[in-house]
This record gives sequence, C-alpha cells and structure tokens, in this order.
Amino acid sequence: MATTRRDFLRNTACALGSMAMASSIESFGIVNALTPQAATGYKALVCIFLNGGNDGNNVLVDLNQYATYATGRGVDIAIPQPSLLPVSPVGGGSYGFHPNMPEMQALFNQGKLAVVCNNGPLVEPLTRTTYQNGTGKKPLQLFSHSDQVGLYSTGIANIVAQTGWGGRVADLTKALNGLATFPSNVSIAGINLLLTGIDTRQLAVADSNTPLANVLQLNNGAGASTSDNNARNTSFNELRTFDNKFKLVKAASDTRSSAIQTDIALSTVSPVLTTVFPNTGLGRQLLQIARLIKACNDPVAGINMKRQIFFAQIGGFDTHSGQIAGQGALMQQVSQAMNAFYLATVELGRQNEVTTFTLSDFSRTLQPSGTGTGAGSDHAWGNNHLVLGGAVVGNTLYGTYPNLTLGGPNDTDGGATPRGRWIPTTSVEQFAATLATWYGLSPTDLPAVFPLIGRFPTPNLGFV
Amino acid sequence: MRNSLPRLTPKRCLKLAFLVAQILLLIGITGGSTTLQAATTRPPTLLSGPTSTRAIAFESVSMKAEPFPVTASVAFSTDTRTRIAIFAMNLDFLGAYGLGAAPEATTALTADAQDSAGKVYSLRIEHVGQVPGFPGITMIIVRLADDMGDVGDVLLNLNLHGTSSNRVRVAIGHMGGGPPDDIGAVATPAPVTPPPPDVPLVPETYLGPASSDADTVRFLEQASWGPTAAEVTRVRAMGFRAYLDEQFNLPPLNVPKGSNFPDMAFLVDDQGTACPATMPTDPTYVQADCNRDNFSMYQIHRNYYTNALYGPDQLRQRVAWALHQILVVSGRDITVPSRLTVYLQALDRGAFGNYRTLLNEITLNPAMGEYLDMRLSRRTDPNENFAREILQLFSIGTVELNLDGTSKLDAQGSPIASYNQTTVNEFTRVFTGWNFAAVIAAGTTNFRDPMIPRGGTNHDFNPKTLLNGLVTPQCAGTSGAVNVACAQADMTIALDNIFNHPNVGPFVGKQMIQHLVTSNPTPPYVARVARVFNNDCDALYPQGCTGVRGNMRAVVQAILLDPEARGDVKTDPNFGKLREPAQYVNNILRANNVKSFDRTTTSDGVLGSRSSSDFTNTLDQGIFLPPTVFSYFQPGYEIPGLKILGPAFGILSTSTTLRRANAVNTLVYSGVNVTTAPNTDRPRGTSLDLTNLETIANADPGGVADQLNALMLHGTMSTQMRTSLVTAMSAINDADTALRARKRARTAVYLVATSSQFDIQR
Repeated sequence: MATTRRDFLRNTACALGSMAMASSIESFGIVNALTPQAATGYKALVCIFLNGGNDGNNVLVDLNQYATYATGRGVDIAIPQPSLLPVSPVGGGSYGFHPNMPEMQALFNQGKLAVVCNNGPLVEPLTRTTYQNGTGKKPLQLFSHSDQVGLYSTGIANIVAQTGWGGRVADLTKALNGLATFPSNVSIAGINLLLTGIDTRQLAVADSNTPLANVLQLNNGAGASTSDNNARNTSFNELRTFDNKFKLVKAASDTRSSAIQTDIALSTVSPVLTTVFPNTGLGRQLLQIARLIKACNDPVAGINMKRQIFFAQIGGFDTHSGQIAGQGALMQQVSQAMNAFYLATVELGRQNEVTTFTLSDFSRTLQPSGTGTGAGSDHAWGNNHLVLGGAVVGNTLYGTYPNLTLGGPNDTDGGATPRGRWIPTTSVEQFAATLATWYGLSPTDLPAVFPLIGRFPTPNLGFV
Repeated sequence: MRNSLPRLTPKRCLKLAFLVAQILLLIGITGGSTTLQAATTRPPTLLSGPTSTRAIAFESVSMKAEPFPVTASVAFSTDTRTRIAIFAMNLDFLGAYGLGAAPEATTALTADAQDSAGKVYSLRIEHVGQVPGFPGITMIIVRLADDMGDVGDVLLNLNLHGTSSNRVRVAIGHMGGGPPDDIGAVATPAPVTPPPPDVPLVPETYLGPASSDADTVRFLEQASWGPTAAEVTRVRAMGFRAYLDEQFNLPPLNVPKGSNFPDMAFLVDDQGTACPATMPTDPTYVQADCNRDNFSMYQIHRNYYTNALYGPDQLRQRVAWALHQILVVSGRDITVPSRLTVYLQALDRGAFGNYRTLLNEITLNPAMGEYLDMRLSRRTDPNENFAREILQLFSIGTVELNLDGTSKLDAQGSPIASYNQTTVNEFTRVFTGWNFAAVIAAGTTNFRDPMIPRGGTNHDFNPKTLLNGLVTPQCAGTSGAVNVACAQADMTIALDNIFNHPNVGPFVGKQMIQHLVTSNPTPPYVARVARVFNNDCDALYPQGCTGVRGNMRAVVQAILLDPEARGDVKTDPNFGKLREPAQYVNNILRANNVKSFDRTTTSDGVLGSRSSSDFTNTLDQGIFLPPTVFSYFQPGYEIPGLKILGPAFGILSTSTTLRRANAVNTLVYSGVNVTTAPNTDRPRGTSLDLTNLETIANADPGGVADQLNALMLHGTMSTQMRTSLVTAMSAINDADTALRARKRARTAVYLVATSSQFDIQR
C-alpha cells in the first residue's frame, strides 16, 4: 500500500513534535488566543521587483516636457505622444502612461494607484552640484545591478547590509502577529535579501502552478508498506537533528524543517479565487500570493496572520538593446497582473488591507544606446515606482518628476555627452518608511530599520 | 618557571598574563627553521584546567577570570565587546615557501563558540602570539560575538586548515548552563615539561599513492562530478599529483576545439526556414526533432550529462562549469545551441589555459557579444553593458582587494571602489566598433567566429583612461583600416590592463575555491591561490612552472592540493559548501552506478522532459540557463543569521529544499523511464543500479550504511546516523527476499542522499 502524502505529513508532525528542534511546529495549526499586542486587522505589503532595471522614463512621461523627452530619447526609444495614455494627477500637470498599461491608467484615475517619481537610493539629499563636485555622499556602487538591487532591498545606502528592510520591519512588528508562527515574509520568487531580517526568515513557495497543498511528493514505489514508510520518514526527520554543530549542515536542516512545517500548515486548505489572472510568470506569482492571503486568514487552516510581506519578481528589464519591444511586452504583463491582483483583493474584501508596490534595480539612461529596433538604454538611477491599493491616496504623483534635460539639473552626467541619469529627489528609505509606517512599524522604531531616515526632510511621503 | 611549566591555575594564569601583556605587541608567530613532515594539519589543542574542560582564559584588558561579561569591564575603544585570552598548542601554520611567501598569516586561524541552545558564533581573532618563555604555547585573543548575550557556558574551539581543536568551556555572562562536553572530551592541561616550539607544517608531496580512501573521496568530490567506487580505487593507487597530470593532459572528445562539446551545424537564423514542416529530400525528417536539435538546449544538455556521468576528463568539466558561473552567457538568451556551443567550447579550452587568453576569447565570443550587447556598441551610440560586467564580474570586482581576498579599507574603514562610472564610460569607448564576422551564408549570422571590428568610424578613436590611469594612444586616424587597427590595438591594451590589475588573482581565485572546495576559505588560502595566479612559480607545488600570470592549470592544482583542501576529515564547523543542484544530482548518480532505465547499458543523459527544462531546472539551476549575468547565485551570498558565506544557499529555499528530496525520490524509486515512439527524446532512460548494496542488505543493513558512508560521506557518518539508517532498513521485512533487499537498499540511498550531511560537501 502506497503511503499517502497526508500520512507522511502526520508522521512528520509526530516525529517533529517529539524533537526539541521543532520549537514552533505545534502552534502552526492551532488558533491561538491573541496576545494583547496583536493587531486586530490584517495588512499586507506586496513587492513586485522589476529585475534588471526598469526604464521609468517610459512608464510615465511628463507631457509638458514631451519635446525634451523626445529629443533626449531619440526616435528609436521615444514613445510617440499620441500613444501615451493620458492622466491628470490631482497636483496638476499632464502625464502619460506607457501605452501597454491601460489597466494602470484606469486604476490611477480611480484613485487606487499613485506614482512615486524619481526615487532611488540616497545617503543624503544630493544636487547635481554636490554630486559632481564630490561634496555630497553617494551610495555604494551606483549603476551596478547587484549593488543597486541590494540598496533597494536593504534600504541602507552607505553600507553593504546583510538584512533587508522588509525583514527588519518584520522583526520589529512580530508582536502584531500575536502567537501566529507562520513565516510573515513570503517570497514567490526564491530567496531574496529584502525579506531577510535579523531574526526573520522567509518562506519561499512556488507560483500557482503548484497548488499550496501539494508541495511534497512521496512515492516509495511498488510494495511499500505503511510501516516501511513510517520508518523511513522517522529517519528522514531524525537525521536533521544530527551534526548541527556544522554550520552549513544546520543551515540546510533548518531550511528543510521550516519547509515541512509550513507545508503541514498549508496542507489543510486549498484556497480558490474566481478572479482570472493572466497566465504569465508574474500573474502566477500574484495569484499564489492572493491564495496565501486567503489561506492565512482561513479559520480552517488556523494560520491566523495579521501582518505579511510578500515578494514577487519579474525579470528581463535590462534593456540595453531591443527596448521598445522588450519593455513593451513586460509593461503589459506587469499592468495586467497587477490589475488582476487588485481585483482579487477586492474579491477577498481586502483591497484596503493590501498595498502593492514596484521596485527595480534602477531606471535607465534617457539617451539611448544603439540604434533602430536594437536600440536600448543603459543603467541609470532615479526611477518612477507604482503603488497600488485601496489605502493608497491615488491619482497623485509623489516626489518630483525629474527635469528631462540631458545635462540638466537632475542629471548626474557632465561632459560633452550627458546621458540622463536622474539624481533621485526622494530616497528608498523614505519610500520604504512610508510603507512600513502604514504596515504598523512604530515611529520610534523607524531609525532602527532605516538608520539614514533622519537625513531626509520627511520620513513619510504620504502616498498611503 | 624557566624549566618547567606550572599548571595554569587561574591565579598563576593572571601572573602569566601580566607578563604576556607587557610584551604582547613585540611578539608574533615566527617560522622556525626546523620542519616537520606532516600528512595533514594536527588538531590544535586548547588548554584547559587540570581536571575539567574549563579553559585557561582571562579577560585581555582587565585580566579578570570568567565569567566574562559581554561588554568589557574596561573599555579600550568605542567597540566595548569583551576580548578574552585563551591558550593553545600544536598550531601547524605553513612555513615560508615559493617566491618569498612569508610564513602563513595567523588569519588562517578561526574560532567558534557554541551555546547551550546549539547556536554557533564566529569569534573574531584579534591577536595570536607566543607566550614568552614558553615558545610551544600560543596566546590567542578573541572578541566575543556581537550577537552573544548572557548565555552562560559555551564550548570554544579553534580551527586551522579545516581542522578543529578540542572544545574548551568558557563562561559568558554567568557560569554554568552550557552544552554538555563533547563525547570523549578530556581535560587538556599544559604538559609539565614545556612543549617545544610549534614547527611549520610541510605539506605532503602527493606524489605517491594517496594515504586514505577518505581523502581520495574528498578529492574526487572537489575535482570531479563525484566519486565512483572504481575511481576511488584507481585514484588512490595513482595519487593526486598523477591524477591531476592525467586530467590536465586527457584530450577532450572534440580535440580541435579543446572541448567535449561537438561542433553543431549553423542553420539559417529563421527557424521556420531551418526546420520546415517537411523536407522532401529526407524521408526520415521530423520537424519536431529538427527544432529540438537545433533550437533548444536538448543536445547540449545530453552532452553535458553524458560527459559528467561517464566522461574521463572530469576535472576539465568541473573547472569549466565553475568558469561558466564567472564568465556568464545564458542559454535563456542565446537559445540556439550551435551559438551557445562556441561559448561552452571556449570555457573548456580555458579550464587549463591562461586566463588572459580566456578573457580575450570570451570578450570576442559572438554569443557574449550578443548577450552583453558589445556588438551593438558604436562610437556615436555606445553601450555600457559589457564594459561594466567585464570589470564587475569577469575580472576585478567592485572593490579593491588585498592578495588574500579581503577588502582594502580606507582611513574611515570603508571599502575602496576599484572603479567608478567614469571608468565604465572609458572602457565602453574601448569596446566600441565591433560586430559579428561576415555571415556564414546568406541569412546565417556568424556566431561561429570571433567578432571583428566594424570599421568605418565606429570605434571611438580618442584616448581612453583605463585602470591605474593608463591612457590609450590617440588612434592614428578616424576611419577605415586605421579605425579597425585601432579597435584591435585598444582591445589588447584594455584586456592587458584589466588582466594585470592586482584584484584578478584573489577575485577569480577565491571564487574558484568556493566552486570546488569550500564557501569560506580562510584569507591565507585565498592568498596562496592568488599568488599562483600572479606567478605560477610562487606555489607550494611549482613543478613545471614557467613564471607566468594567469595559469589556470596551476591555479586549479594549488586549490586542490592546499592543506586547507586536503585531509581525511574537516572538523571546522565553517568548512565546506552546499552541493549546488548540478553537482548534487551528478554526485548521487555517479556514486550509485547510474545506468540506463533497464540497467543494461549507460544512461542517455536526459533526466527531465525533452525541453530545455532539465532535471535541475526544478532546483533553480537549469544547466547553462542562469537567470542573469549574475549567474545562478552570488559568491558573496551570506546565509541569514550565520554570518558566513553560502553561495549555493542563495537558491536553497523552502521550495527547492523539498524539490531536492523529491528529485532523489524519483531517481531512487522510479528512475527516468524511456519515451516511446515517435518520441525519441529518452531512448534509454536513467536509473541507479544498487546491486552491490542489495547483495548485503538483508543480512547486513549496517554494511549498507557503511558502504554509503565511505563513498558518499567519506567516513563521517555519526553512529547516531548509522543507527537511524539501520533502523529504517530493518523495518522492511517483506517475505520476498529480493524485494526486501531492493527496498532496503533504496531506503538507505534515499536517506543518505536527502540528508543535510550529504547536502554539504565537507
């Protein structure tokens, strides 16, 4: 008789429960009375990382600067003005979304979407003058993929930090989740620094191609008996308690134990959503997040989360070449998937409790690299990010849209051929601190998560 | 006190300490003139009191005895962590060698402490020095870890060359409450007669047969796609140096290209034309096969796995795989296999060649030109992509490095950038004006030959300022043949400039160590390898050297024969590396007699479905399909909470850890079945042949565990683990003896292969 997966999980749970190492397993499936500090309502942050450096210049164009934009970009990567999807933000002006983002245009007009303009990692406020004459402090390794992904993830621009701001926020808001022991930070895109805290470890799950309740497969082959499998599973679990003085062995064991504990918790529910998601990489990730939000609030599962931070990711934005076609397809995917996710939060009745935002390595040079359909752009700095949700004060731009003049007041580049790399006018710390404050991070804890926040005019940009 | 060493009671210890403290700054480890031939590093001995494992230790500033507060009672600096002094014997540092390499730096020594909760802390060692009058005793000052609280007793150990000392007990915050002593631990008081000075370690020659199966297994874990029983016997008999010479000289399958990857036909770019629905001239033509063979990674993956599982030139393959993760082109972008093959062939050639040659080949490789856009970059519309990544990823990295791979620091203690955006702009200008060579045929882009200058005025003809302020000459003219010649001249100057930067040796050397041996090499190990990169005669094993820079064959030999790599067992808790998916799967297959599905012949090398999604793709490491130029994982990835590096842990998530177990389940219990006509993708399939285990499984399950211990864990299986395996096997009691034996063998292989003990190559 083949062992069923449920048998395995039950046996696993028994084995784990008997071990000192399984400190949290027992409470996974139990609805606990909330501790006094636990939050009463639910809130989640959802990060969509646009990997490779999304060209924010073509996400939202200032139509009052269109001539400057068109000159700087050149014919090969400028979007023709008639194609841009116009919006009129509350603060005035006239702007146009990328033509493949009609869903974002609509949500902007409905007041659910905001754009944070010219945002990027900063050690302190910088001007073109202080940047160029060296008196201003600059972030580490500007324009490098790995380093700038790191700066957006860590939220500390002057050191190589080993924890992310999402992880540190989770560390300091742990009490809001009461006695729940399910990991608050969940990635659908593999391990990432943003969700790693000092104490917080992230859960990584696969996208919606894998149902939540079907992660571990076991097949002992023809003829395996229950007792055979029980003995095997006992040993399988027991081995993880040995040799833990070797750090790497322990790290591998801890990862697997965490996976199995979570798997047990999720195996009791199969959340279903009626909202239709696009069957794209990002669509499947965001669908899985919607399912997790549902599962983690399902009384049957008893996971009972009050605060969660999710991470999704889509790659391909490093458009040194072929930008119009390449980025165009990606922006369509982003816009459609974000829209479906917002509709799913409405279906769950949690649209005001879930705030979704984009991040990326950096923006790209206004001035192109290459020519023709092969034209692209190079690594730059300040970028335009989207923030979406019912709690968002939408239909508004935050920060200051950059002056698009090559070699102008926002450009890092001097010399004869400035390329248009915008010096950010708001910092990653301000952007993240705004989200963290909404999430429930105490103002007194802000400097612990964002040590440089005091150098900027305000810790809250006010978009949510 | 001159002729006999007293027992170091705390009181006397303080006296000694007083003496020590007075001249602490005047002394250091000195290399003696006598030498000792030692197979491997002896375990260092930490001194304890006479009747327990409690350490001889005192706070280094106040000289107070334990318990030690975590914050110093006398703050000597803004960093108020407590420093404690401990004492050790038998520290076998390497002596001077090569072209002036000094005796091994004391940064070879590391320290750890474990608390009662099992948490292991890395302790920074701040001073190592001989105790005056007792040259065989060394005082070590360690700084308590930042995340240590009032934890009570901890067990503290030193590590040298991967070998741990005994563990001694030290009270942090308060006395008592620590972990139990290690099994078999005894008091280690100083001997009555003062020990003679420690003598420098002289590494083995490795010219004769290897000294043990255990080290041979470890060597083959590092130098091949995993030991097989036959290879362990063969390599142990011939010895490591002979094996390396054999491997360096074994011809690959495709001799003219210096590679195992066969040349592939370059069809026209348009897939519909290259693989039409029908081909009237060829009655056996099948469009699906044409697409599979010419427009997917199928053939490359088959070749890769077949060679990994059965090919004789294992070391070349391992090194080329490591180089692929430094000099990245991805099959996700270069999707035509004939195009990627040219890149893979360059890596194979470069495995034992010169890094300067490889850097040139990769720079001009058409697949790289496409991947990082150099072919598009022209004077009037330059593209920075290649210029940035050749500096950041292929050669020098973002910060200035010491020879030992640690960052150089400025006066404020911050790392120093090795280049800036201006440098990238200048190198971008160097790399302008290159393009594919002339088409192979009409409609067939030349991804076969190195890129060539475009001519015209496409190469930027003005001087460029490179690393260390080197300025390229003004081109003799602006266009035509002069522009072509200048593009070539600039290329040579620029690659020489990069190649000769002092970062390259430690930058490349450390990553190669991480790929082959251990994720956290000590700085002196990195320095030894970097020295060899800088000059192949500056080596522990210089035989046959010619005094050149960038000799990868010498670098590989230095990595594999280093005292930190070699030895029967590594007890340092920091040592080793997570087997990345490609290595994990190949190791399991090779250790367990991988064969065809029916076990009559060899595997066909197709572990997954027919598409480019091969078996390891589900573990986030599709072969030759890294997600970006930053490869599958980053060399600097730090394991959360552990403060040590674990690059491959960057793709070991709560998802992939379960898929690893599932992958083993498939290999052990199901195998990979053949496909049936008309699908010819898996003609023979894959499975394990566990006959040798099944033979003894019913009578002697312990013997099964012992065999797996020897081949998969090089003898490090604990008695607890062995008992656990035997219990699981013994629970299987089918009356059918053949079935019982098969199930027992499979259970044991599954349990070892899925264990964290096997996950880590130590």
